[in-house]
Amino acid sequence: MSLKLQLKRAWGPTVEAPVLVMKEGFSPRYDLDRWSGIISRVGHTAEGQSIVGKILIIPTVKGGVAAGWAFYDLLHKGIAPFGLVFGKLNPVMVQGAILANIPIADGLDQDSMLLLQNVQNIRFDPSTKSITAVNGY
Amino acid sequence: MHLTELEQSMLDGKKGEAVREALTFQLEVGKFFGAERFVPITNAHLMGDIEVMGNAGLELLRRLSNNNGKCAVPTSTNSRCMHFGEVDELRQDIVEIEKEREIIRHIKDMRAVPTDTCINYQTVYQPKLGEHVAWGDTGTVIYANSVLGARTNYEGGMSSFAASLTARTPAYGFHLDENRRGTFHVNVKARMRDTADWGALGKIIGHPNQDYFSVPVFHGIDEMPLSDHLKHLGASLASYGSMAMYHMVGVTPEAMTSAQAFRGRHPDNVIEVTDADINAVYSAYNYLEAQKNIVVFSGPQLSIFEMQNLAQLFEGRQVANGMHVFVTTNHAVWSDAMRLGYVETLEKSGVKILQGVCFYILQRLSQIREENGWTNLISNSAKLVNTITAHRFNTILRKTDQCVEIACSGELI
Repeated sequence: MSLKLQLKRAWGPTVEAPVLVMKEGFSPRYDLDRWSGIISRVGHTAEGQSIVGKILIIPTVKGGVAAGWAFYDLLHKGIAPFGLVFGKLNPVMVQGAILANIPIADGLDQDSMLLLQNVQNIRFDPSTKSITAVNGY
Repeated sequence: MHLTELEQSMLDGKKGEAVREALTFQLEVGKFFGAERFVPITNAHLMGDIEVMGNAGLELLRRLSNNNGKCAVPTSTNSRCMHFGEVDELRQDIVEIEKEREIIRHIKDMRAVPTDTCINYQTVYQPKLGEHVAWGDTGTVIYANSVLGARTNYEGGMSSFAASLTARTPAYGFHLDENRRGTFHVNVKARMRDTADWGALGKIIGHPNQDYFSVPVFHGIDEMPLSDHLKHLGASLASYGSMAMYHMVGVTPEAMTSAQAFRGRHPDNVIEVTDADINAVYSAYNYLEAQKNIVVFSGPQLSIFEMQNLAQLFEGRQVANGMHVFVTTNHAVWSDAMRLGYVETLEKSGVKILQGVCFYILQRLSQIREENGWTNLISNSAKLVNTITAHRFNTILRKTDQCVEIACSGELI
């Protein structure tokens, strides 16, 4: 079965990558070991998982201005995510993603996030404001 | 986006390469948010230190500086990740310290004033009602929007630098009237006694309502809160809820009445906060068994009044064995606290005072925690106990006097 989901706002190049669906908000400062790319916050629903090379599906944000530099830093350390898709976001995530040339979007609803939990790889196309499951789901 | 003649000349490179790069970046951000124009700003607050910028960010800063980028409005800087004085427990990397010094040199060359503070609104510049600024720290942003009635979005990373270079920022978010209306009603029945209570209130409201564009409207505050109270409330709302503005009826300038705060909008919901709710926040934290623990007063940096209060609470007491205590403040407050004897009192008690930093952004903090064997981190800052968790401290929120008692008795109450 094909799965195509629409987004509200989007920016950046098209990417295809494995997906990591988070069940709670995310901040690169609060939640991430920025030297390994592993979620390090004790008790985070994605604790122990790597964001490297993944398209992150994130319901909300926490904080924080750190993302303004952090994604650019992660990119140059070779441990950046490939894409960021939010339910709701704040400007710092956009500022940080644009600086690092990482595609970013918002407006993904909760039901769509649930569907993506059964998907391994997605194609994220900001030009059409859409994400598509690769090889179905 | 509509560009003025001046903005078009910036984009064309006629104002220099640094300005061209800055405006090009700002245009992309503005387009994402559907901004129709830029708005001139009067002040910028830069967020950038080596811990979060990394080598790539430093290289970008070198480029802006080498391309003769100059701040076009008065510009201050946020807290740093390096304490340049000798502190046994920290042992920060020499190489990274030198990079931090280089960042400061570039920032000075660009005409910014390295104030190294996250309480610029208390010690550096207080924008007026309706004044547009571009500030790069969440606590500063929410204070500016809410308490001062100024207008700014979160301006992180390159964004705050770009705004400073071009003297403008895209007009979206909290620069626009329609986003400054209250969205939900908070009825505060709890009696607020300590700065930590205000942080706890921020957690109660922020955590379940994470949304940058949510604007809580607080009702029922029976005593006029102090600047430090509103500082901790805002820092906590921004930290847990990623919020950038709140109203407090009868207190903040765009909320002299509830109707003014909501501007005709019907609140999405009503939340009531009682003493029991505040107490439940404290009781939800659990200590881990440990030999060494740390008490931290930071996040945001302490004002002179907070320094005075701490000096009074620690006077004649000693930090207990197995406990370490840190305070962070900016250079301006430290100088005054030195002159007034607060520094001497605190240091005599065994408290370490760090200047120009905020504790949770310290470079190599995870290693510092491991090297010192710290397990529980106790603080009166609801923000700090949230922001520091990537470094795997077990964090505990307590009232200010309890923090001092824990520090001096070693008992984890």
